Amino acid sequence: MAGLHIKNAFVIDPLSGVKGEIMDISIRDGKIVEDAPPGAEIIDAAGCLTLPGGIDSHSHVCGTKVNFGRYMSPEDMRAGRTARKGVMHVTSGYSVPTTFGNSYRYSTMGYTTILEGAMAPLEARHTHEEFTATPHQDMLANTLFDGNWSIMEAVKEKDDKRAAAVVAWTLSAVKGFAIKLTNPGGTEAWGWGEDMSSIHDQVPNFGVTPAEIISTMIRANELLHLPHSVHLHCNNLGVPGNYRTTLETIDLVPDLNKDRQSLYLTHAQFHSYGGTTWRDICSKSEEIARAVNNKPQVVMDMGQILFGRTTTMTADGPMEFKLYMLHHNKWSNHDVELETGSGIIPVYYGRKSLVNCVMWSIGLELALLTKNPWQCLLSTDSPNGAPFVKYPEIIALLMSRKFRDSERKMIDPRTEHLVPLFALDREMDWYEIAVMTRAAQAKALGITRIGKGQLSPGAEADVAIYPLRPDEIDPSADYQQVMAGFSRTLFTIKRGRVVARDGVVVVEGANSTIWTKANVPPAYDMGADPEFTRKFEQYYTVRMSNYPVQDVYLPRGVRIETEASL
Amino acid sequence: MRVVLKTRPRVKPKIPIEAEEIIPQNFLRKNDMKVFEGNKERALDDLFFVTVEGPAVSPDQVEVILTGDTGVVKRVGEYMNAGRIIVEGDIGMHCGNFMSAGEIIIRGNADAWLGREMRGGRILCEGDAGHYCAAGYRGEKRGMRGGTIEVKGNTGDFTAEYLSGGEVLIHGSTGDLPGVEMRGGTLWIGGGCSRPCGNMTGGTCMVFGEVKSMLPTFIRSGLQDMEFQGEKHQMRVYLGDVANRGKGTLLTRN
Repeated sequence: MAGLHIKNAFVIDPLSGVKGEIMDISIRDGKIVEDAPPGAEIIDAAGCLTLPGGIDSHSHVCGTKVNFGRYMSPEDMRAGRTARKGVMHVTSGYSVPTTFGNSYRYSTMGYTTILEGAMAPLEARHTHEEFTATPHQDMLANTLFDGNWSIMEAVKEKDDKRAAAVVAWTLSAVKGFAIKLTNPGGTEAWGWGEDMSSIHDQVPNFGVTPAEIISTMIRANELLHLPHSVHLHCNNLGVPGNYRTTLETIDLVPDLNKDRQSLYLTHAQFHSYGGTTWRDICSKSEEIARAVNNKPQVVMDMGQILFGRTTTMTADGPMEFKLYMLHHNKWSNHDVELETGSGIIPVYYGRKSLVNCVMWSIGLELALLTKNPWQCLLSTDSPNGAPFVKYPEIIALLMSRKFRDSERKMIDPRTEHLVPLFALDREMDWYEIAVMTRAAQAKALGITRIGKGQLSPGAEADVAIYPLRPDEIDPSADYQQVMAGFSRTLFTIKRGRVVARDGVVVVEGANSTIWTKANVPPAYDMGADPEFTRKFEQYYTVRMSNYPVQDVYLPRGVRIETEASL
Repeated sequence: MRVVLKTRPRVKPKIPIEAEEIIPQNFLRKNDMKVFEGNKERALDDLFFVTVEGPAVSPDQVEVILTGDTGVVKRVGEYMNAGRIIVEGDIGMHCGNFMSAGEIIIRGNADAWLGREMRGGRILCEGDAGHYCAAGYRGEKRGMRGGTIEVKGNTGDFTAEYLSGGEVLIHGSTGDLPGVEMRGGTLWIGGGCSRPCGNMTGGTCMVFGEVKSMLPTFIRSGLQDMEFQGEKHQMRVYLGDVANRGKGTLLTRN
């Protein structure tokens, strides 16, 4: 493969310490190199903003629940229709688009790596199949362990090593990337018809609390030396007054890893509500941001909502039921045997709804109040807060106070009494945006070791060139231009190949799926553990030998191996 | 302005034509209207003899007349917001989708989805209409929201499904499940029907013919006298559908 030479690029590469310099980037064989090979194709970036390929550290794009969102919302498929054109497949859908729709839209926004936020282990095959149909991004799958019976039994016995061994076996069986806990214990309790209101309540039939599950899993994660930390969706999502649960959870986190955080709090916006009911909801973003500022071992993502129509989908079944009781619209609920559950409903976030306006403000406040941009990443928990195609709007809101003030005139006027947003002057700069959309994600996910999120020689050649000249644009005034620029790259380069140009996808794409395998000593190999095997055969409706995802489901798997200290 | 569109003879006359561009306002603005024949894009002239008579300055003054073998022409009048369309014969599926104003008159029969999710305006069908007349579409919780649809003949199943506004008047009978999931608006059925108004939460439905398989989830609440097409009827009043805490009204002939 001949190389590629990008000249006159305005590069921001936080992980390599480049904070905005005009420089050249050379690419050869899918890697960044010092000098371009002879005969390399030359791209003139002409001073345009050039960043490492975007990384979404929490998004729902593939898997059974996304697909169920598609079944449930045929009306969603009326939007976003594009015809087949060149190498592009037909696409349709807005909040739950087709897999190719997801892939092309991410690609034209400069995103090259996506983490699927929640994969039920039992349904992993389908997720991997959809990964191969999302051809422009490297995919990672967070694997759900929140209601895993073997894990809860290990937690009850206070056996961190056994919990770690179950995680190691499951991750390598289903080709997952990291541990995801969604409302730990709560989804399982919901399966028994009960609800939990605090992280110190006991899960029925198991005698463990969510706090114990979280603490054990954080320690087990570090015993296995997994690249990513525990990825936690806190308990009590979307419940007014839930910020206390979130603060209690943040207090649980030890500092166990010097390279990255020990806990990743996802969609923090949904977990920062004050008040007692929907009538007196208010923002507690200041408390949450203060707690995170004081705890460098915690990283969160915004979970911003944006006004409009979308579909919520989560493994948090009970919370979706509560939302259903508010809306009385379509609702789906699903139980995954011995593992987890899920729920899906379509929603509309309106500017006329005070609750929605408060939610909208909280997400932005979290980002603006967190001092260190490496600790608050940009996300919408797509599509729960808004479809990912609206990321540019969030970037513009963070970069421009003027834009926030113009939005203020459009939303419910009571909002400003309940939120601190409009008192915040902070306007983010290009560097901070680069951190919040790729570098911090790469660091938090621990994939810098395989060359993600950076442009230094040896790194993966994932590059996004946006039609924005940082020396000419004042983002606080020209926010419309910022939004347009981030929506559509001049060039998106994936593994050294131009995959999208000016919003048009130009190649078929061939992604890889990144998964982790923690090597454990034979004594901790759950595949040979008589107790684990007996329970598996007794309780699951599938045989243990049929459970692992075969390699054929990962045509281009990338395995990250770690040596567990068990 | 009067535009006459007469279908040209085709080698394969059964291949459907998708003609969402046939709306009055387009004849003022556009010269290169496209329609699909199957999966092939064609110019309007390739499939129709087009005759234009007289001037017009606004779409209100445009009258489009469709003649010939129009039963395979789909999506005529989609998003129409002014003017008038007269179909001399039958019309294909999805006629008057999302129309918000203007008038469509069909001299023959209409196929399924006549006036789906209509917002306003008027549709008159002098023959029969197919299934899902005046209904919502897949997944959409609000169907027809305004305007009037009048069908002189019979209609198929799921007439006025998800009706949430406007008026639907069926002179003949309907098939199974008319007014199902209704949430507003008015539905008149001159003839009979079966299982009307399942899961309705609002609106009013009147059936002047025989009702087969009345659903058990409606509560009787008295009698009422009504007049329909010059005849007086005594009607039983039902409220429901109580299975879904509905507050709709269903009237059937006593």
